[in-house]
Formats: sequence, structure tokens, C-alpha cells
Amino acid sequence: MFCRNQTARATIARGSALEMEIRRGKFRQSVFLETPQDSDIQKKIDYEIRMREGACKLLAACSQRDQALEASKSLLTCNARIMAYMSELQRMKEAQVMQRVARRSFDAGPMDDRSPCKGKVAISDLRIPLMWKDTEYFKNKGELHRCAVFCLLQLGGEIFDTDMVMVDRTLTDICFDNTIVFNEASPGFELRVELYSCCSEEDYSAGSTPRKLASKLSSSLGRSAGKKMRAALEPGACSTTSNGGGATILLPVPSVPGPKYHLLAHTTLNLSHVQDSFRTHDLTITGNEECSYWLPLYGGVCCRLAAQPHCMTQQMMSGCLRVKLGGEPQGWTNVYGVLKGTNLFCYHQKEDMEANVEPVLTIGINKETRIRAAEKDPHSKAQNICITNQYGGEEVTHTLAADSREDTQRWMEAFWQQFYDMSQWRQCCDDLMKIELPSPRKPAIVTPKQGSLYHEMVIDTSDDIGTVTDILAHRIEEFELRAQLGSPPHWMALFDEDPPRSLHTHQHLPTHSPSPRLHSRQPRSPRCHRTPGLLSSNASLTSDSDSPASISPCFRQAWSPDASSSSGRFRPRTLSLDAKLSTLRGRGYSGFRCNCQPPTASSVSPRPAQTALSCSSSTSSSTSSEGSNSQESDLGFSRPSSARHSLRNLRAKLDPRNWLQSQV
Amino acid sequence: MSFIPGHPVTAVVQRIEIHKLRDGDNLILGFSIGGGIDQDPSQNPFSEDKTDKGIYVTRVSKGGPAEVAGLRMGDKIMQVNGWDMTMVTHDQARKKLTKKNEDVVRLLVTRKSLENAVRQSMMQH
Repeated sequence: MFCRNQTARATIARGSALEMEIRRGKFRQSVFLETPQDSDIQKKIDYEIRMREGACKLLAACSQRDQALEASKSLLTCNARIMAYMSELQRMKEAQVMQRVARRSFDAGPMDDRSPCKGKVAISDLRIPLMWKDTEYFKNKGELHRCAVFCLLQLGGEIFDTDMVMVDRTLTDICFDNTIVFNEASPGFELRVELYSCCSEEDYSAGSTPRKLASKLSSSLGRSAGKKMRAALEPGACSTTSNGGGATILLPVPSVPGPKYHLLAHTTLNLSHVQDSFRTHDLTITGNEECSYWLPLYGGVCCRLAAQPHCMTQQMMSGCLRVKLGGEPQGWTNVYGVLKGTNLFCYHQKEDMEANVEPVLTIGINKETRIRAAEKDPHSKAQNICITNQYGGEEVTHTLAADSREDTQRWMEAFWQQFYDMSQWRQCCDDLMKIELPSPRKPAIVTPKQGSLYHEMVIDTSDDIGTVTDILAHRIEEFELRAQLGSPPHWMALFDEDPPRSLHTHQHLPTHSPSPRLHSRQPRSPRCHRTPGLLSSNASLTSDSDSPASISPCFRQAWSPDASSSSGRFRPRTLSLDAKLSTLRGRGYSGFRCNCQPPTASSVSPRPAQTALSCSSSTSSSTSSEGSNSQESDLGFSRPSSARHSLRNLRAKLDPRNWLQSQV
Repeated sequence: MSFIPGHPVTAVVQRIEIHKLRDGDNLILGFSIGGGIDQDPSQNPFSEDKTDKGIYVTRVSKGGPAEVAGLRMGDKIMQVNGWDMTMVTHDQARKKLTKKNEDVVRLLVTRKSLENAVRQSMMQH
């Protein structure tokens, strides 16, 4: 098989069994000269070796654990691929040799002429449920046992790895979002799924002792540098690709310090597992609780395994035909037939098919169809093809004829091949399964923590005071709108001359008006002089730059026609941010102000002096001793309304360091 | 009143029955509460253990129903009408106290002085 015009180079791994055999003279080296297929594989091997070298260098150089884990993962994948290619190469060589040998001596039995078409196989949405023990959750506080896991998927000669996922006890499932598509899979494929994991807590620098020795009972990691080195030198740990039949090709595995992945579980999927929906398959778990890389797997893997045989997606045969349409015995119509999937589409012309025009006739070709070549039509030289289908109990037969005998033969051949493919691919040929191609762009989002079922809700506390004032301003706008619409709100009664029990009307306030408004006496109002009890508090308030917090929104609204009496009390204010904030706060959220500032000595909520309420003012003075910095104490014996309730929530959200007090 | 994680909380409690005062449409009890699991426990001036997130009485209005019934400032409320108050949010606690259809609330409260009293009486024997 030596071709002069081809430069052939035999590449045998040094130290491999093959090389030894050659040295011993068992095989001539020329036997192992390359065929074009070999050079393909050789190129792949070279590429992978280069990748592996790169990964080793990266692993040695990187300092961060994440990088190290990723590099280790690529290293493992490269190794697996190299092993796979090597073994395929080996197999091909052996097959060549066997062929040569077999040609002479052994009778090649009737080989099955037909081979089924290939197809695409896609696996997606891998999910592996975990089964943590309750002790992990409840007793095990503090240390979070984390593992880095990924899946290695192998079909035929193709090996793919999924992205790496960090797993700890907050996860209930390991989810891999990748969709992996294998092209050129035969119906007898075996898709091997392997789950590798690596404990991600230890310090990997050689020679250092790990911190949590007590919790790690595994003897393979962490005891001494020597043991680590030995583990690294283990070639078997790198991949578990089974080399079909041949001797293991020993590769000198570079001993690289760094995180090592171990096989945690594996399973093999084949055609019987293919379905257009999710299915759960059993996992074989290697490793036990003592290993550092152990994860409590529930024992199954859930995924969607879909297959698209080429016979379903590609045109298997096309050409000109003649079809008997209608009732006429002699009426032949010329059509362009396309055999694809489970149908034979007949178009008027070839251009129609390309233009996606509806076919004139669609004949179903499926497992139930029967096709036979009819006897010779006296009018033509070729045989007719009769296709019989069962449409709901009725038998319908279509008669087709090709132009020549060869054409007829080719069509029959195509039909037979189609039937054969369908019988091989079985359930995949019932309907076309959808395979979503993975988008070429890999999203560069790094999820800091994979979502668990028990997400923490983060309430967005706006620290920025500007945003807060905006929020408040919006609220007040709403409020203003509402105030202008209807009749004067109940609390307008507050500003009557004697506001007795009408204080309680504040409960019926619209949403944002809180009770603190009750005590909202305008400091500059003449009215405040009436209540001596208030004076002191007012004085304290006025000393506070934000004292006009007491200005209620109703005062502002007082500009609206109804509250003309109170309009005169106002003095326009300059709108510095501080003042703006204080007015906003005063309108609705005096409590908010309290939270943001150190408490004033006396109660920040002056109460109108009423006999029934006098006790409250005395208590308010006593509260100063408490030193609590937020006194949301609602006025008097008022009932917290739903309005204040939502206000309270808002306030609590805005200031989480609050220690609220509520009057009951 | 100390809290050891994983162990049940034991305390010497006093039953206090407060009859709410009707004031127009409102029912008032006459005290203020502070605390809750959603609050910052380090700001609680009454708690011994600054990680205690329980509900404490921060103020008792003079002459109000609570004072009359024997509630004191600094008491920790353990139960209200059978509802647990040791592991509730501030709002939940407030709601349990201010139910409109209940005229009476029966509280279980605890305070340091109770414990001391019991201990002393035990020592005497």
C-alpha cells in the first residue's frame, strides 16, 4: 500500500506497545503507513497534544482555584481525546492488518450490504439530582464542602465536556446547560456519560498539609506530596475510555500538581434511550463516601437525548418520476419526486421544491408502507412501482414510474435503504425530533453562585439619597393627584381649630399619609402656640434643621381650593436637597427621618395636648432615655392602619438597621 | 432566657391578661413592642443576650391596660394567646397583638426578676 506520490509517515508513540512490537519484528513498519483517514486522526492527535501541553503549562502557572480547576478539566478532556484517537488509530491499523490477513484465509461471510444512515445525536439539559443528608444541612455549619464537577460525554470518536459547575450543599441538583451534538452517529451508538468531580477545598500545592484533615478520610489526597505525585502519575485516572480490544497505549502522563478530577459516576446511553422528551437514566456510581470527591448522588441522571437520523433530515433520493394521478388509467403526470423523512414529496418541477411551494402529492413512506415493483407495463420499458399505504383502514395505492430501468432500480434501492434505516433507527423515525443547536457564542456571564431553590431575596435598599427622594417624590405626586381629585381628605379636619377625636380620622388616610402627620403642626403656625405642651417639642424640632418634617402633605394640598384657611400659614421654602428631603420626609415619612438621624432628646413626634393623650407625652419624654434611635411610635392610641402598614414596610426596607417599635 | 442553638428555650414566665381598651374604633393595649427576627437585635436595650431576637416591651403607657395587668417595661413576650412570639417578625408580633376581634390578650412574659425570684425561693429550701 505504499504510494509514491504520498509522503507517508508512520507515527507510533514512543514507549508504546506497538513500538515494542515493531522492534521485536512482529510487524513491519510499513504496515503502519498512513492512509488518508489516518492523517486526519494524526492531525487531531497532534492538536490535542498541543492543547494538553498548553493546559499543563496553564495549570502550573495559575494561582486561582477556579483557573486551576478549569485547566485541570481541559487537561482531562485532552487526555481523553488523545486516548480515544489513539485507540481509533490502533483499531484502524489492526483492521487493515486483519483485512490483509483475512483476505487470504478466511471466508468473508455474506456481509450485510446495507449499512444504516448516520444521524445526529444530541444530549441536552443534563440534570443530576443530589440527595444530601439532613446532617449536612443542620449540623454542618461553617464549612461548606464544595466540589467542582463536570460531565464528559463520549460517542464514537467524539468527546465533549460540559462546563464546570461548583456544587455544595445548597444545591439540590447538578445542572448542565450545555447542549452537545454529535454528528455522524450510527444507530448502534453508545454514548458514554461520565461525571467527574474534584473536591475544591484543599490546597493543592505539593507538600502542604491540608487544613481539614479530620474531615477528609480519603487516603489518596493530601497526606503527602509523594502520594499526590503517585496519584498524578496514575494514567488510569485520566480517562476511562475503553480501548476496544487493543492493548492499552501507554502515554507518559505529565505529572502536574494541581486539582485532580476523579470519576464519580457513569452511564451508557444508546438508541433505546432516545426520546423526544426528558427521561431519567440510572447512574453507576463509583467511589464511596470516604472519597474526598464524593457527592451524594440520588442515583439517576435526567436528560433529553434526541436523535435526527439523516434519513429524516436529508433528501435521500430525488429525481423525475411519473405518477398516475386521478382516475384516468393512462394519465401519467410528470413530477419531481423527493424522498425525505417519512414522505415522498412530488413537486411539479424541481424549482418548486427549492421555492418551498407545496408539493402536488405527498406519499407517506413509513413502517406500514408496502412498496413493490409491479409487472411490466406494456407501454413502457420500465417496471412500475406501487406504493401502498393504509390511510385509516383504507388501502391507497399510488403507482409511479421512472424513466428508465436504472432509475427504477435506483428508486427501489432508495426505498429499501429508507426502510432499512427506519428499522434501524426505530423510534427516531416516527417524527423528526428537534435538536437545538448550541449557540456559537458562549455567554461570558460568570454566575457567582448557581441558583438554589432557596434563593435569598435581596431587597434593593437604595443608599443613594437622591434615589430615595425620587421615590418619595413620585409617591407624593400620586398623592397630590389624588388630593386634587376628590373632596378634601379627612385629615383636613386636623387643621380645624379644635381637633379632638378627629385625630383618629387619620386612619382613613390614603396610602402614603402616615399618622405622624397628626402631630404635624406647622412650626410657624400660630396654632402651635396654643399648646404649651408642644412648645418644647416644637422648639426642639425647630432646632433640628429637618424639623419641618412635621409639615404634612396636607399643608401643601392646602393650596387647593378647599383648605384656604391653612394656605396662609405657609412660607415658601428654599429647596436645597436637605430641605427637599426633609419636606418629603416630613410629608410622609417622618419616621424615616428618625432613622437617618440621631434621635432628638425629646420625642420627635409631638402630640397635641389632649387630656387623653397627655400620658403619651409623658411617656415620650421617658422614651428619650431608651436611646432607641427610631421611634416610630404612632400617635396616641391610634390604630395602625393598613396605610401605615405599607409605610412601615417601606421604611423597614429602606433602613434595615432599624429596631422598630410599635405601639399596640 | 439564654438561647442555646438546638435546645429548647426554657424560661420562668408570668401570665398576663390584658383587656383591651376600646377607644372609638380602636382597641388599645397601652404598650409598645420592639424586636423581631427581622430586626437588629444588638439595638435592643432590654435584652440580656444581644443576639436575642425576641419581642420585648419597650414602653408601657401609664395607667393603660397593660400596666394595669402587670406588664412591665423590659418584659420579653413569649406567647400571645397561644401564638409563639420568640420566632416572629416585628410585624407578625404586632398583628397578633392587635387583632380586632379579640378583646383580651393573654400573654406569657418573662423577665429576669422572675427568674431571680424563683431561684431565690429554691435556694431557701
